[in-house]
Amino acid sequence: MIEKDGIVTSKKTEAEISHDTLRRMGNQPDAEICVRELKRDEFSAADKIWLEYHDTTGDPASDRVFAVFSSNRIVSLARCRRHTDGMDVDGIFTPAEHRKKGYSRIAVGALVEACHNDDLYMHAVRHLIDFYKKEGFITIEEKELPQTIRERYVWAGGNLEGAEVQPMYRKAGLFS
Amino acid sequence: MKIIQLLNLSSPFIRTRALTLAVATIIALGVNIVGIFSGITILLSHVIYIPIILAGYWFPRRGLLFSTFIAVAYGVLIALIIPLDLLLIISTLFRMAFFILIGGVVSFLSVKLRASEQQLHEIIEFLPYPTFAVNRKGFVIAWNQAVEELTGVKKAEILNKGDYAYSHAFYGIKRPALLDIILTPNPETEALYPHMKKEGKKIVSEIFIPRFKGGKGVHLRIAATALVDERGNITGAIESIRDITEQVMTESALQNTSSRLNTIAGIVRHDISRKLAGLYGILSIGVMKFDNPEVLFFIEALKDSAQGIQIQVDISREFKDIGTSPPAWIPVQDAVLDAVWRLGVGGVSFRTWTERLEIFADPHLTAVFFHIFDATIKETEQVTTVVVTYHIRDSGCAILVETDGAGFDNKIKESLLSQREERYGHGLFLAHEICAISDMTIKETGTPTKGTRFEIMIPPEGYRIL
Repeated sequence: MIEKDGIVTSKKTEAEISHDTLRRMGNQPDAEICVRELKRDEFSAADKIWLEYHDTTGDPASDRVFAVFSSNRIVSLARCRRHTDGMDVDGIFTPAEHRKKGYSRIAVGALVEACHNDDLYMHAVRHLIDFYKKEGFITIEEKELPQTIRERYVWAGGNLEGAEVQPMYRKAGLFS
Repeated sequence: MKIIQLLNLSSPFIRTRALTLAVATIIALGVNIVGIFSGITILLSHVIYIPIILAGYWFPRRGLLFSTFIAVAYGVLIALIIPLDLLLIISTLFRMAFFILIGGVVSFLSVKLRASEQQLHEIIEFLPYPTFAVNRKGFVIAWNQAVEELTGVKKAEILNKGDYAYSHAFYGIKRPALLDIILTPNPETEALYPHMKKEGKKIVSEIFIPRFKGGKGVHLRIAATALVDERGNITGAIESIRDITEQVMTESALQNTSSRLNTIAGIVRHDISRKLAGLYGILSIGVMKFDNPEVLFFIEALKDSAQGIQIQVDISREFKDIGTSPPAWIPVQDAVLDAVWRLGVGGVSFRTWTERLEIFADPHLTAVFFHIFDATIKETEQVTTVVVTYHIRDSGCAILVETDGAGFDNKIKESLLSQREERYGHGLFLAHEICAISDMTIKETGTPTKGTRFEIMIPPEGYRIL
């Protein structure tokens, strides 16, 4: 069972896991629970899940989307979108029926590890600030966001608190 | 006199033009004579521009002279047939001046055009590689010295000839050539060039022609590309040929030598492995036979040494194979997972985030990851986690293999990817060599005490995101 890691669980070692299982967990969602990045032709599956989440859709040219699978079904998603001036983490969504099982943490953990070579920015929902802090994010001022990412919430007119969101930032790096 | 000279020219092409010009001149003057008698002197005089323009375009060096001649002829006709008054004289002189001016301008532009064409022809003519060109109808419009030497067919024999005359010069039969695929795309023609591939705007292929060089045959690399006009319409095609016989023979000789060396090395490897198996057997019996701790320690040390020799044998097997198969698009995730499986170490967590990444690399890419993992885990301490990711940069794509643990000491980092002392093995050097085959670079950029970090840099054209 994977808790957080992309391929090998923190409990099982590589030596305990067969090659075929490694392959399956890496490439095919037929392990009970696994997390992996979606390929271009799988974005439509994520778009269906996101219908409930502001009706957003993924763009294979600029997005990296990480999905947690349970019994071959997507149960949680996290997206990282490349802008001209920074990487924006958004689209973190778990359908209501799959919540309270830790899937979001698996998806976000995968995204953070896979995209750790870049500084990451996000607009976090305020009650999830502590959740993202555990993944290495810190809170920042709105003006510290790259312009194109800041423009996503331009409709809030500078009152992000009123919009219940908090700009956050994670410095690039892995084992630090 | 000039016209008579032109008519006497031997080239049928020029003779046809000269006759056409003579007929056009007679008709133009005849029409004007009729016009003068009928009182239509202004409108019909424009007919005279036709032979003037034709002469200027076809015979630019004589165009001005011809236009002067025809202007004078026109003036004489007016003077002989119509009673002259001042207005008629002035208008006739103006018309004559215009005839001469138009003839001069057309001749001047034609001379410039011919000079430009001549320059282009000379470039083709003196290209070191055999080159020829055909127009849209398949008639040969250029045939340079190098192609004359290769085929033995002179330019004068083949210029302006169609019906696959150029193919006959090469293949001994009239059939479509590589450039015909550009002019008239056809699967049957493509089947004649099974190794054909597209490189940008040109198509290239390699062929062997047995009849050249006194029946010894030559290997040729052919490149064909379209000739287009300013609107992008195909007006013809050009084919350039390079004799690669020497290169093919060298490659063949190298392959034979390499094959023999590999056979010998394989026999030696097999013998060493057999002897090692025997040694392992003896050492295992020794462990059972002796219980003296000093002897057992000694046996264990011998086993380690034997293990080291076996690793060297395995690596030499990989060295034998690298570069023998052409590079291909390889899913990085598969290569990493194969390496993890092959490594067979416990206690280390591997995580790889390269599902969407494919790179154009030697098929032994798995060995690159294997030796990075192997060296990192065996030569550094406290590694519990290995993470593989990728990062898109302006200069291409970097694959990053990072671990926790102690990392490499600065002293070791410098020589990490070169051939090091025997006790370290040659794994990372092998990884470096495999990367170099497809212009990839590899370096270690980790911070000592904070883990290792290998960066494999792939050029922009060498990766794709699925």
